[in-house]
This record gives sequence, C-alpha cells and structure tokens, in this order.
Amino acid sequence: MTRETVGIDNRRASGARLSAAIRIMALGTVLCAAPTALYAQEFKIADKAVQVHGFGSQGFVVTEGNNWLTMDTTHGSGAMTDFGLNASSQLTKKFRLGMQVYARNLGALGEFQPSVDWAFGDYRFASWLGVRAGKVKTTLGLYTDTQDLDFLHAFALMPQSVYPLDLRDANISHLGGDVYGTAPLGRAGSISYTAYVGHRDDSVHSAYPYFLLARGTHDSTYLGYQWGGDVRWNAPIQGLVVGVSGLGERLHGEGIRLGLPNREKSRRPDTTAQYFSQYAVGNLKVDAEYKHFNRDHLIRNFNSEDVADVRAWYVSGSYRVMKRLELGTYYSHYTITSTFLGLVDTTLPSGHDYDKVVSGSIDINRYVNVKLEGHFMNGYGFGPYPNGFYPQVNPTGFAPTTKGLVVKTGFNF
Amino acid sequence: MNIIKRTHVLVAVAGLWLSFGAVSRAADVSADVKVIANPSVSASEISSEDLKAVFLAVKTSIAGSQVEPVLAKSGRAHDEFLKGYLGKSDATLITYFRGLVFTGKASMPKVCDSDAEIVAYVAKTKGAVGYIGAGVAAQGTKTLAIR
Repeated sequence: MTRETVGIDNRRASGARLSAAIRIMALGTVLCAAPTALYAQEFKIADKAVQVHGFGSQGFVVTEGNNWLTMDTTHGSGAMTDFGLNASSQLTKKFRLGMQVYARNLGALGEFQPSVDWAFGDYRFASWLGVRAGKVKTTLGLYTDTQDLDFLHAFALMPQSVYPLDLRDANISHLGGDVYGTAPLGRAGSISYTAYVGHRDDSVHSAYPYFLLARGTHDSTYLGYQWGGDVRWNAPIQGLVVGVSGLGERLHGEGIRLGLPNREKSRRPDTTAQYFSQYAVGNLKVDAEYKHFNRDHLIRNFNSEDVADVRAWYVSGSYRVMKRLELGTYYSHYTITSTFLGLVDTTLPSGHDYDKVVSGSIDINRYVNVKLEGHFMNGYGFGPYPNGFYPQVNPTGFAPTTKGLVVKTGFNF
Repeated sequence: MNIIKRTHVLVAVAGLWLSFGAVSRAADVSADVKVIANPSVSASEISSEDLKAVFLAVKTSIAGSQVEPVLAKSGRAHDEFLKGYLGKSDATLITYFRGLVFTGKASMPKVCDSDAEIVAYVAKTKGAVGYIGAGVAAQGTKTLAIR
C-alpha cells in the first residue's frame, strides 16, 4: 500500500467518522427538539382503537485490534442503524392483531432491506392459555425477542456471546404458531410457558451467508424448521425469575461454491439449550444466562461433516442511579469448537471471545436515549459459525484482543 | 460440605427476608393507596397476586369480568403502588410495557395525568381498574379490597 493510498484511506475513514458523528448529532438534535412528534399515535378504525409505535437507533463504533460486526470499526464506523414501526389493535376482548416492519444496516448486513419483523393474531382463552399464529418473536432465554430493542436495556450491545448482534435474524422470530400462558402456583409464585413450531428463512443480507462468502460459498437460501419451548418460574420473591428454554432446528442451505452448486444440511437437529435467571427489583437488575448451541451439519454437498459446539454465558448487572442515568456492566464468555476445522482448544484466541463491558445510558427525555459503552475483548472466536469477527473486514488476519467504544442514540414512541 | 450447608441457610434466610419484606411493603401501601374499578367489574376484592397480574397484562379478567389497567403518570400513589404491588419503579414499568408493545404481546395501557383523571376514566370505562391516593374521592367507581 503506497503512502498516497494510505492517505486516501485515512481521509475516507476520517470522512466516515465525521459523517457518523454528524448523523448521531443530527438525530439527537431533531429528537430532543421535537419530543411531541414522538408520542404514540392512537386512532380508531371501525370503532377499534389502533396503536402505532416506532423506534430507531444510530450507533457509532470505534475499535482497536480488529474490525468488528462487519464494520470498518478500526477507522470508526457509523454503519449501525435500525428502525421499526408497528401497529396493533385489540379487536375483541380475547383477540389482538398486529404487525411490525423493520429495517437495519449493520456494516455489510441488512442493507436497509425492509422485512416483516412480526405479524400475528393472538387469541387468549385465559391467562393460562393463549395461541399466536403468524410471524412471531421467538421466546428463547431472557432477551431473544427483545435483543434489538436497545431502549429496553441498559446496554448498547447485549452480551454478544448469547445475543450476537450480527446473528439477530437467525432466531429472533419464526413463521408458525405459539401456545403460551401463565399459571398461578399459589404461594410458590407462578409459572409461564411457551411452546412453538415454525419455519425460519434467512435473508441473503444476514450474517451466515456473509460469513460463508469468506469461505468461497455464495449461499442463496438458508432455511428450515424450528420447534422449541420455554418455561420460567416467577418466584414469590419479588423480581426473581428462573427459567429454561430449548430450540431445535433442521436447516438446509443452497448456493454456489467455486462455480458449482453447493448444499449443506443438518445431520441431526441443531439444538440450543438456554438456562437463565433474573433478579429485578426497583432500579436494580441482575441477569445470568448460559447457552449451549450444538450444530451437526453435512457440508460441501454433504461430503463432509462438521460438529460445532458453542458454550456461552454472561453475568450482567445494571442500576438506575438517577432518574435519567443507568449504569451497567457485564462479563460475556464465548467458546467454540469445530470437528471440521480441527478447532478443539478453546484457550486459543480463535476458540473464544471473552468480553468485559462497562456501560452508561442517559435518558434525554422519555423517548430519547444516548449510550456510551466500552468493550474489552480477548479472542475472536473464529469457527464454522459467525461471532462478530469476519475475515472480509480483517484481511490481514485477526489480532488476539480488541478494545471497542460504542456510542448509540435511539428513540421510541 | 459445611460451606454448602451454610450457603443454603443463607439463601433460605435471604429468601424469607425478601418475602416478608414484600408482604410488609404491600401492607404499608394499602394505607396510602386504594384500588378502584368500574362498577361493571363484578369482584369486590382482589388478591395482591391478581392485582400484579392485571397491571402487568398477564391477566385480563378477574372473577369473570374483563379488566383493563389504568396507570398514573406520576405521583406518590403511583410510586407507592408500583413499589408495593408490582415491585417496579416507574422507569422499569415503562420498559416492561415497551417490551410487550414492541413484540406485539400487548398494547400500552391508558396513562392518566392525575387522580381525578383516573377516577373519571375508570368511572366511564367498562372493566377499567386504577389506583389513587387513599383519601381521594372516587365517585362513580367501586373500591376493591386487597386480599
């Protein structure tokens, strides 16, 4: 690389940083100046109230070490935008209907392609029995269904070992049906359950197809069936929840590799088991989750087999120290092994990603927030399945550690 | 082994302390806050568990009557009710409902600016259940005793 091209790259990077900073400031200014425009809208159609809500966020990430989440973060990147809009109505005492559209751009992912995030009918026979059908957010652990709604969390990025932002599309929703309910247990609190079956169809703009490009495979489809359940005990101790979730998937992908058709499929169902607990009382929230993801796939036209095993857990705590200020911290632990890649030693940087995080979130008003977050990562966990670090944006190889700063602002109404 | 036993005892004591704490908080709150309902609601009393379930959109009926929770925007009764019966602050309650709204599981409940507005809304809206200061007059509504 010549000095001239380095200069051009630096000017481009500087321009990108400036552009992202301007976007964040402009969004913040507009949102602070016009809070009244952010009130939820409610109107009536045929005497039925329809509520409209929306959200959006803009992030800026700068790292030292590796480029992260498909962005050019070592030069600073603001390619982190998402927004959604929903409308819903309680049509009868027991039946509600709603839909949310969503679009995002995260580095090379999403590319602002709008998608139906959820759209379903929900009939609740009683508090202990309800059914939902359509495209439904998946209940898996504490936050799978709300992982991208950062205004609900103290953190700009959820613990990436369990809720990887790049893989948002993978398990966030399913096209199918749920049965759910909450049953009282008297003095022992109550128990909530969800069981579901459905179908998953990943966008070509999602993380796995992008990840496969680095291995010479251009996937055009990656889809399959999902089934699972979740049981959580709402303990009689105020704010204590303990639960377990499970997910099974039988998936297959098709595409082109080295100019020839290429296929892969689950040899056995992919499985995810997630154990979690939460203690949330007053302004304090403490979470802990453990996730075990196992994936046994026949790859390269079913001629090879890869068993990938991911173990992930985190412990997080947050406290609202003032009405508008919430501070938080977490430790996120991720390891991956692969039989096909011969990746067995999780102490190697390629076999793990340990992330220590400190975060602060300020509510500018009821609808707008700004977050500042530091990440201190050890390892890059590069196996047969994505985990934040991609060779396409790290062409000279991976550094063993990464430090990152995330600034994010968002609104919701 | 002794350490494990000691840990179990500590956890049990902490659990009992938290449970008793929750019960005594609820008892304190009932002196400052009263729960009112539209006369269409057939029940005349409600358990604190059901009250919590109604205000967290887990339960949509009590004693066969469809109910709709009504929240206050702020104020002493609001803070006491949230702390005593729901175990949440105003910020965490809003976050809780946003989680439901943005996953399609519930609508945002009606929020009123004052006790008077809550009384007026509950009085005219079938199935509405709200909370106000214990000393506030609540014409056109019924008061639910909390078990």
